[in-house]
Amino acid sequence: MQSNKLGWLFLAPTILVLFLFGVLPFIYVLWVSFHQWNPFAANPNMIFNWADNYRAVVFDAQFLASLGATVAFVFFAVVTEVIIGYFLAQAFMGDFPGKAFFRTIHTLPLIVAPIIVGSVWKLMTTPSIGIIPHLLDNWFGLNLNIGTSALAAFTVTVVMDVWHWTPLVTLTLIAALVSLPADPFEQAQIDGAGPRQIFWHITLPMIAPALVATVFIRLMDALRTVDEVLMLTGGGPGSATRYVGVHIFKEVFPRTNYGYGSAISVIVLYLTIVVCWMLYTGLLAPRKGKEG
Amino acid sequence: MTGMETRTPTPLAAASLEEAETSVVPEGRSGFLPIETNWFDRLFISVVLWVALCLFWFRFIEPLGLSIWIANAIGVALAVILIRKG
Repeated sequence: MQSNKLGWLFLAPTILVLFLFGVLPFIYVLWVSFHQWNPFAANPNMIFNWADNYRAVVFDAQFLASLGATVAFVFFAVVTEVIIGYFLAQAFMGDFPGKAFFRTIHTLPLIVAPIIVGSVWKLMTTPSIGIIPHLLDNWFGLNLNIGTSALAAFTVTVVMDVWHWTPLVTLTLIAALVSLPADPFEQAQIDGAGPRQIFWHITLPMIAPALVATVFIRLMDALRTVDEVLMLTGGGPGSATRYVGVHIFKEVFPRTNYGYGSAISVIVLYLTIVVCWMLYTGLLAPRKGKEG
Repeated sequence: MTGMETRTPTPLAAASLEEAETSVVPEGRSGFLPIETNWFDRLFISVVLWVALCLFWFRFIEPLGLSIWIANAIGVALAVILIRKG
């Protein structure tokens, strides 16, 4: 009994903080999502409307389009980050001149606030004054205009996210790679396994938990991207980069449609949890007849 | 004071020892689901399916005139089956 009491005592601060800043706001958002609530309308009170907000969400063409754009954005951003992050982590495992300096430089984007990243990338990609359109035009004859081309705007948001968050993937994968025991690799080399076989049959299964945790973190972050994209493209051109986070922001703040915005938030949370759970189940969950 | 002297363990050490002696690893169960699950996993899967069913119902079935309460009834039945036999 004593151990239980002591355990709960140690857990209490964390549980309290999680409850205050995680569970309570979620319950409130869930509560609001079942109401029609616009504090600046003629009737500023919350009016319970059952599931009408959810009923409206599934028919909202703009929301469904933003969901599609978000899925594409998350897929390209996270896959690219994991691939580049893995190769960078492998590079940092070896020795080369200036390794410590390069590792520090490469980690710097992580400490920049997303709103600043968005501003800097906007400056860099604005036609006529930005360095990137200028160089692309000079070197390859390409016309990059994120104000008029949906594909260019989408690509730049993905590249910006990759630039900002790949260092996180690299750092977690370095930690995973450093902690791997040397024995299985030596045994595989003695048995004549090639680099590709070692990667697929030893490295990847052994770093899978860290890799999946990293993908979870990036997936959740990418699904709720708002500030960077809002600063860079404002969701445009048209609604090409109006990802769900931006869509919720525009629904809640300019239009003060809190009930509907809450319903969308709950659905996005639901989708995030489902995607993460499917990923976990597919890659790590113990199957029947196999040891976990 | 000798090295062999028995000392009273600190509360944290005592708690760790007691936990190590009494801890039981929760075991998953094998029902008709393809993965090993405990009751919370099955409850979670039930809620996920219930929400998915309701959203699908709103979009495609309710316009045909069938009430959302039917989806809720199916969701509850599905949850009971999953939690008991999943």
